[in-house]
Amino acid sequence: MNRGHGLGREDLAQRLQTFWEMSKKTIVEFSRYPIAFVALFAQIFLIILMFLFAAIAFTDPLTEMEVTLPATTEGAATLDWLNQTTTVLGVDYGSFTVVHLRAEPAVVQSIQARSLEARELNAGLGQQIAGVMIYGFVTNMFLSFTLWEIGFSIREEQARGTLESLYLSPASKFGSLLSRIFAITIFTGIMCAAGVLMVNYLVGGLAFQNAGFALLVLLLSFSGFLGFGFVFAGISIKLKESAQFLVNGTQFFFMIFSAQFFPFGALRSLHPGIVDYVSRWLPVSYSVDLFRSSLLGFPAGYPELADPATEFVIVLLFGILSPLVGYVVYRYVERKARKDGNLGEF
Amino acid sequence: MAVAVSRGFGLARPGWRANLDIVYTIIVSRLKIISRYKGMLLMEAFLPIMFAGFPLLLGFAIGGANAAQNFQRNTGTTADYRLYMLIGSCVFMVVTLMMWLIGYWIRREQETGTLESMYLAPAKRFYVLAGVTTYAFLRSMMIFVIALFLGSLAFGVNPLSGNVLLAFGFITVGFLPLWGIGFIFGAFILKIKEANSVIQLVQWVVAFLMGIYYPITFFPGWMQYVAASFPPTILNDGIRSSLLNIGNLFGGEWWVPFALLLAFSLILPLLGYEIFLQTERRLKRTEGVGQY
Repeated sequence: MNRGHGLGREDLAQRLQTFWEMSKKTIVEFSRYPIAFVALFAQIFLIILMFLFAAIAFTDPLTEMEVTLPATTEGAATLDWLNQTTTVLGVDYGSFTVVHLRAEPAVVQSIQARSLEARELNAGLGQQIAGVMIYGFVTNMFLSFTLWEIGFSIREEQARGTLESLYLSPASKFGSLLSRIFAITIFTGIMCAAGVLMVNYLVGGLAFQNAGFALLVLLLSFSGFLGFGFVFAGISIKLKESAQFLVNGTQFFFMIFSAQFFPFGALRSLHPGIVDYVSRWLPVSYSVDLFRSSLLGFPAGYPELADPATEFVIVLLFGILSPLVGYVVYRYVERKARKDGNLGEF
Repeated sequence: MAVAVSRGFGLARPGWRANLDIVYTIIVSRLKIISRYKGMLLMEAFLPIMFAGFPLLLGFAIGGANAAQNFQRNTGTTADYRLYMLIGSCVFMVVTLMMWLIGYWIRREQETGTLESMYLAPAKRFYVLAGVTTYAFLRSMMIFVIALFLGSLAFGVNPLSGNVLLAFGFITVGFLPLWGIGFIFGAFILKIKEANSVIQLVQWVVAFLMGIYYPITFFPGWMQYVAASFPPTILNDGIRSSLLNIGNLFGGEWWVPFALLLAFSLILPLLGYEIFLQTERRLKRTEGVGQY
């Protein structure tokens, strides 16, 4: 009795207390399935490793270099040696001889020793692509869990027969939805941090700049993803088991068209229309693009869809409007199900 | 009653016809159930294309115009990286479905409360499992063919330019070790129960080890031996080397991986079945097989 609300209206403290209790229930449920938890952690690392190996398969095995040689006989001799040991792409003769070439990694040190200056042109490209992949993967993780968890837990409550009883309690419906994702979001954050650290170690250093701004973008994006989660919770009530296919399909749709594992340039190379007519119309694309571009320190060509200020406005609007619209949709479906008397049907 | 008696075994021992009927009945019942979920079948056919699509897009981004050249140089295999990855993804789908369908079947029977009732039926467990695994194979092969066909159209590759007959031979021989792995996996699910999470984890371990996107020569030395002694890796390598006309992990001769798979075909189904029976016996003595 003393933990209920009686006839009183809930104040903020009570709302927070209720939210915490509901979230705690999810945490207790998780703690009952330790294997599931360990499996989730392990599979994330395996997926990252697989994509890294796939990326390695496509990296340029040769090092592209710009080598400066003295305009002397010694320089000419080095140029002859370069012609024999590397693929020379071009030579500029002037007060210094500048050679543009592609060399086997094994001879890079010898080239550096024999030249006045030797600059690796494709250095850091691997780290940049690894950054694009892993930071995109972080947004994918948050999106996937939001899409799955809210709808899936509603579905579980339907199957267990507790959904209707829950609706008889005076607890906030919004809080009830949010609490289903609260705990998993914290776990997802920890998993993502561990994944980023692993890739950082494997590729020998990832760019990690503008962390505060990137965190803000991630929070806004997550808020936007919540809107999708609410809509899918409504769809789960309506479509029951079939909602899973829709979630699966949506997940893959965003993975591809919001370029969560590769730059948008890769989609553009397939067909520019994919980016112009699909990706650009998805707010998730801007979340992904702005999040990873800011962490990479806005290198040349990033963000790929628009300038950072425009992308931020889109992400901000997405973060504010999406949960509101999503919640309205959820309440509409839920009210209809209550009227029709099939809320608890599964 | 008369129908039940006429279709039961009474006190007689079931003969080979009755045993075959068990296998057939289970296959038909599973096929009937899955025919209710057409969306799921469609999704499964598209999954390998998606799995192959992500690394391909990553490859375009990294390699650009030199993607094929870079891939061939780094992997020492082929420039036809699209087909390489498509085959890997399709074989992965076969392997994962074999495990998923067997593991999930046991879990589903536990949850619906029909597993214990099935144990009361006078049907030998071997034939019940044979029915489930054969159904799993039929379904995964159907997905393999559809996905390879659609994927080839999507990626603009020709999967029939290599030795198709040999690839078919590899699939046929490779099915038996997968059967055995399915039994072991079923025993594991029977024991630990948390089917979904275990299946998800195992399927990524399998994907990683069998090298769906890359050759296992990318792994450090010791891991190469582990991966190469894993039947799905040999199956994947065998199908790839025959369809792409490239060398295999074992020095180029086709009969080496073929013989290895054949050896696994003799050992793994028996070993898997024995492990399943042992787990089942232990569970029957303690909490019972139906508890979940």
